[in-house]
Amino acid sequence: MVVAGDPSSSPVPGGAPITEEEALDRLRQTDDQSLQYYAAWWLGKMRSRHPDTLPLLCRALGQRLPRREAAGVEHNAVARNAARALGKLGQAEAVPALLESLEDDDDGLREAAARALGDLGAASAIAPLCRRLASGLAGAGAVRTDSSRLIEPCEAFLEALGEIGQAHPDVVAVIRPFIGHERPLIRSAACRALLQLTSDPRWGEQLVQLLEHPQLQVRRAALMDLGASGWRPALEPIRRTLAENSLKLIALRGLAEQLEPPSVPGAVDGAARAADSPHPDPATTAVLAVMDDLL
Amino acid sequence: MPSADPSALIRNLQQADSPVGLLQATRALAAACHPEAAGHLVEVLGFNNPGAAVAAVEGLVALGTAAVEPLLTNIDGYNYGARAWAVRALSGIGDPRGLEVLLEALAEDIGPSVRRAAARGLGQLRLEGLPQEQRAAIWQRSLAGLLAGAADPEWVVRYAVVVGLEQLLPHTLPAEQRARGLAQLEGLAAPASEDTLVVRLRARLALDNLSG
Repeated sequence: MVVAGDPSSSPVPGGAPITEEEALDRLRQTDDQSLQYYAAWWLGKMRSRHPDTLPLLCRALGQRLPRREAAGVEHNAVARNAARALGKLGQAEAVPALLESLEDDDDGLREAAARALGDLGAASAIAPLCRRLASGLAGAGAVRTDSSRLIEPCEAFLEALGEIGQAHPDVVAVIRPFIGHERPLIRSAACRALLQLTSDPRWGEQLVQLLEHPQLQVRRAALMDLGASGWRPALEPIRRTLAENSLKLIALRGLAEQLEPPSVPGAVDGAARAADSPHPDPATTAVLAVMDDLL
Repeated sequence: MPSADPSALIRNLQQADSPVGLLQATRALAAACHPEAAGHLVEVLGFNNPGAAVAAVEGLVALGTAAVEPLLTNIDGYNYGARAWAVRALSGIGDPRGLEVLLEALAEDIGPSVRRAAARGLGQLRLEGLPQEQRAAIWQRSLAGLLAGAADPEWVVRYAVVVGLEQLLPHTLPAEQRARGLAQLEGLAAPASEDTLVVRLRARLALDNLSG
């Protein structure tokens, strides 16, 4: 996973506080794309529950123009931010529009749509994601002739398959070749997905090896991927990794939350309450102790 | 043990021309534990090299009170990465001269990593040498800062507030204030008022530890 320096800071510098109504108005108008761009981000960040939010974001997904790299904030950027916001809202109603975006010509939009579908755990995205990845390293994973990007946004696609979490042998078979990709970020994403789907420790061990990669960007990605998988044996390697404490804390949050058994549906009242406010077990307490030292 | 003359180590640091070189030079200078190293270690905090920054913070914390002045006078208003490391060093040292910086950082800094380090530090100020009255006043101000920090929008800051409260509450505080601190921890442990699981887990652990 590609990460910026401080992952929790706003991607829109200098964005002034606005209200939900203002955000919706800004997204409704189409004359100024930079206002729409900020509004889409804001509505996702704030998890807006307003009835107009979802339809407006879906409409913004359809705001398409040929991609012009030098154009600044343009229609396609609004669509990409809308996709990200739809992932954050957690509403399944967004899935059909996002599936459509998965077929767009703009690989940046396909990338954002895939991540959002992963966030939503959309099983209906598995088939199209696998179809686009099936050509493997020589197809989907090949470098474009006109830029340094890959034919498909493989990292996002692989991560989405892991997040959606259906360990069908066909899905695993599509992901497998990408552990041999020349780019370490793609290998990291493939290992993450395989670890999530199969719980096979060898994929966790490969991610732990990437924590020692000479490039900081790769170490950061492996941290986030281990955190997403919640793989407990990574605790000590994560602690030792040469990277920002902020990212280690995010990764360790993944380990701590993974360790807690999910609350049992239909459990009797007392048990349900205990799951609501659990007393951490010794393994979780060990993760929390490492987190304390990183604050 | 302080080395006799750190100037060779300082020169190595200044001439480091790769991330790994900077890391090694920082580690060596930090290990020398020499007061003259403090200002140079503070500089490393702004180099965007997390490994070297960790080593520099460790060196500054080991220098203790000798590092407080260089840290306070060189807080970087423009680089929140550097500020986070500096506040972290101040927190680790626990010198009460850092109180104002920690309170202001938790309340106002735009960097979550800065607020997080400040919350941790407010729980671990070392006040052994101070008269009781002064200690009580500092604890009360720290508590007020942490209680306000519990409403921070970032989970990691609330997590650090929990850790700060757990360390602060065993000190002698007026009963009413201690009760407010415990009530805040209960709030951070409850899903109705805290939506991040790891924060709730840490708050529950703090309450367990404080009642044990």
